[in-house]
Amino acid sequence: MDLSQFGWQVRHYVRRAGLAFAVAVMVSPAVLFFLWMLSLAFKTEVDNAAYPPVFIPDRLTFANFESVFKASPFFQYFINTVIVSGGATALALLLGVPAGYGISRANAKGLAVGVLIARITPGLSYLIPLFILFQFVGLTGTLWPLVIIHLVITLPIVVWVMIGFFDTLPAQLEEAAIMDGCSEWQAFRYIALPLSRPGIVVSAILSVIFSWNNFIFGVVLAGRETRTLPVAVYNVLSFDQLSWGPLAAAGLLVTLPVLILTVFVQRDIVAGMTAGGVKN
Amino acid sequence: MSKQRNDPDSLDRRRLLQGGAAFAAELWLPPVFAQGSFDWKKFKGEKIEVYLVKSPRADLLTKYQKEFEDMTGITVGFEAPPEQQQRQKQVIDFTSGKPGFDVTSTAWHVQKRLFAKGKWLEDLRPMIADPTLTSPDFDMPDFLKAGMTYSTQADGRVDSLPLNIDYFMLYWNKQLFADKGLKEPQTYDEMVAAAKAIHDPKNGVYGFVNRGLKNANVVTWTALLLGWDQLTYDPKQQKLLTDTPDAIAAAALYKQLNTEFAPPGVIGFNWMESLSAFSQGKVGMWIDGVGWAPPLEDPTKSKIVGKVGYGVMPRGPKARKAAVYGDGIGVASTSKKKGPAWFYVQWATGKVIQARMLGEGMGSGVRQSSYQSKDIKANREWINCMVESAKIGVPGLPEIIPVTEFRDVFGIALTNMFAGADPATELKKATIEFQPILDKSEKT
Amino acid sequence: MSGSPAGRALDATPAMHETHHRRYLRFAWPALAVSLAVILFPWLFTLFMSVQDWKVGQDHAFTGLENYLLLARDQRFREAILHTLWFTLLAVLLPVVFGTAAAVIFHQRFPLRGFFRGIFMMPMMATPVAIAVVWTMMFNPQIGVLNYLLSLVGIAPQMWVFHQDTVIPSLVLVEVWQWTPLVMLIVLGGLSALPTEPYESAIIDGAGWWQMFRHITYPLVLPFIIVAAIVRGIDALKAFDTIFVISQGGPGTASETINMYLYLQAFAFYKVGFASAVVVVFFVLILALTLVLLWMRERTKWT
Repeated sequence: MDLSQFGWQVRHYVRRAGLAFAVAVMVSPAVLFFLWMLSLAFKTEVDNAAYPPVFIPDRLTFANFESVFKASPFFQYFINTVIVSGGATALALLLGVPAGYGISRANAKGLAVGVLIARITPGLSYLIPLFILFQFVGLTGTLWPLVIIHLVITLPIVVWVMIGFFDTLPAQLEEAAIMDGCSEWQAFRYIALPLSRPGIVVSAILSVIFSWNNFIFGVVLAGRETRTLPVAVYNVLSFDQLSWGPLAAAGLLVTLPVLILTVFVQRDIVAGMTAGGVKN
Repeated sequence: MSKQRNDPDSLDRRRLLQGGAAFAAELWLPPVFAQGSFDWKKFKGEKIEVYLVKSPRADLLTKYQKEFEDMTGITVGFEAPPEQQQRQKQVIDFTSGKPGFDVTSTAWHVQKRLFAKGKWLEDLRPMIADPTLTSPDFDMPDFLKAGMTYSTQADGRVDSLPLNIDYFMLYWNKQLFADKGLKEPQTYDEMVAAAKAIHDPKNGVYGFVNRGLKNANVVTWTALLLGWDQLTYDPKQQKLLTDTPDAIAAAALYKQLNTEFAPPGVIGFNWMESLSAFSQGKVGMWIDGVGWAPPLEDPTKSKIVGKVGYGVMPRGPKARKAAVYGDGIGVASTSKKKGPAWFYVQWATGKVIQARMLGEGMGSGVRQSSYQSKDIKANREWINCMVESAKIGVPGLPEIIPVTEFRDVFGIALTNMFAGADPATELKKATIEFQPILDKSEKT
Repeated sequence: MSGSPAGRALDATPAMHETHHRRYLRFAWPALAVSLAVILFPWLFTLFMSVQDWKVGQDHAFTGLENYLLLARDQRFREAILHTLWFTLLAVLLPVVFGTAAAVIFHQRFPLRGFFRGIFMMPMMATPVAIAVVWTMMFNPQIGVLNYLLSLVGIAPQMWVFHQDTVIPSLVLVEVWQWTPLVMLIVLGGLSALPTEPYESAIIDGAGWWQMFRHITYPLVLPFIIVAAIVRGIDALKAFDTIFVISQGGPGTASETINMYLYLQAFAFYKVGFASAVVVVFFVLILALTLVLLWMRERTKWT
């Protein structure tokens, strides 16, 4: 090996090391944060109030989680959140997949911009009128108001993702079918729809995640028995230094499901965004 | 400009002092409900929702909840979130016309007129007078006069019964005081001097802690203001008194205590955080309500058990008064279960529970009989403090409708002082800002 | 809230024949109907309420533009606008810079890339309220872990969210931590679409890493960076959960953004008429900013 090759190899390894360092730096805030959250949730009150902070305690405890479940019906809230997010996502898929298809094939980008309006509108502005309406109709106290108002979150996501997806799906097969006499609906139902599973999966998961995480709608609309998880966490909050453990435990319980979903979906999300380019 | 002199709605002193002899021999009920002719199981099988604020009172009621359920056969769904969350949600629920609770609390100093306006709580007088709904030994006259005055609305409706009466007082750390050879402060000047002597941030010791959080902090300022024998509002002339020289002096004192002698971050403290800090044993003094004492004597929560001094509010330049705030408990007027809800209210404000409140140190007694109980395990000094404070008690917040806005506007003015703003400027600005809100609310 | 912006394949057929055009729109009718109900109705009602003097639980009366005039004169609202703009500026700029850098890094191939990318994306998917609650504990001046870490490198303890001057930067820190991954995703999409020829020529010409970035990568990826800025801008202007949980708009009003002010008026003071006027003005502001950024994007678009 002569000197120039050696020089190249050194530069190559230096580059690799630099890259590794950069990745570590990028990923460390997330890693450290979640590790700290875990630490808070599994330590005793004494350890949590200690300074300098205790990172790895001598004793782990499940007491914080116990106290979370004892203080409020956390399991009920979990079910509520599943119903609300699942329901709003299911409805959004029902309405949004055909809509995304239609808008994409008709190249009606004006309507797509309309969906942007939903994104721009502050969440609180939906709350006041819908709150009055639900109260008038007598639905407060059930989960229905939450499912309906969560459509504001889920429907735009599904429509947006499906438009992007169908834009990348070549239309030849459908065109051929139509020339053979199929209706547009049949072309959609039997050709495009089965092919759109990846897009549906991504939009469904994103929809569930953002609906799950929603806080503001639940704070105003939910009662004691119809509460969702993020609201429950908020209710546990006070800056009382004596209850950091349960607070971290509650936070962990609430966010763990979506973090798990993230692991499953991250590859598909990236694939969706990088395939064919993101150009509009 | 005349200052309002209020007759303190304090205890009927004479009755209390007499009570010692008379009551001791009288009808102190053992903690078992007399199975007399009154039918406690009338609403057996019903379910009610109770929505209170997280506090020692709520803790006590949860502790004995099973007793109520066994006695009446009524199932109770109970919830008590922290103050801020509870109050917001409570009003949202009320305005929806279909609140999710049957029994709830009202913080008189904040919500009394607001609740009256919307008639959100049921007038309890008919139920009290109904012998099938109210046990004969409920004994209405047993309630402290101050409590009943607070409970009764201007038009005579009694829409809540007293649950807890809070007097602002001075908690002081006996250990820290002894270390510096100091005695319990009796005047504002002594208080400041003590704070200065104890304050030692390098070693993590602070002279003073109290509420800095906007909204919550207003009650500390008005409590201090009483030392100048002044209120913040003159109801007769409907005039704000928040920018008088004495109001400014009180704010200056508040600013000094918070900027010179308090722990960092005090700007975000409500009573819970102040309590937390004080119970770690690193703070010399804490001014707040007498009802927050129980955790201080709880060895699992407090590092200063047995070292807490319970002092009456020190004397200010012109007077020695204790600010009074209170909570009532009532039945939602749209509840479909008023009967069972009333049973709960009756139980919670009844002699047995109230005696336990005082006896276990979970709340100040709203009934005179509570003070005569033989079962008092609570700290004697604390009870004395309460009794003495009651004698000089004066409501600390104005009885107006937009109390939330009042606390918001003046609370912000107070927190601005932490960053160095001038008390006079801030108060004048806030007064100008708030006056139109007040005028508008008094007209409608 | 996040959604993938619509894309269009380079080789898609032009819009289907005109006759089918309208029939395809039919697919969208159910969604449109629901959107009208759930989105349009509140909007119309909001506009209606904004010209009324309306407090919850009381009768309302038509007052024309009075709410808007009050708003224009309201010092506190003007301060809220300033806070919002300052917060948004920081909360867009920093994630865009860091996110672009992250996109460049994750565009490289290296072992376990997918795994690390998954971890990197977690902050953006985590429940904001849960995150905010932990950040609050970390911000504690006395026993919070952030001040401890600072002390290890010799920096004095900070007041974080407990002082008027440091509260907005502290909140921005949380936003940066949480939303940088979103910028990375968007810009990564752009990077993936880059043609390789320019790079190959540049390497042959002996260009260095930075030069390639500056003259090839950056200009081509700029449209995506702007899209990311638009998405971040809208979200930052509307930021609520984080601020609500951590500082409640405080200390005092130091972190009171328009959205926090709106919540206060609507749900603490119950002045829904006035709050509705705030909503309208707020919406116009967001729309204006979005349009400015869209215009910028049009100008940088490359064929």
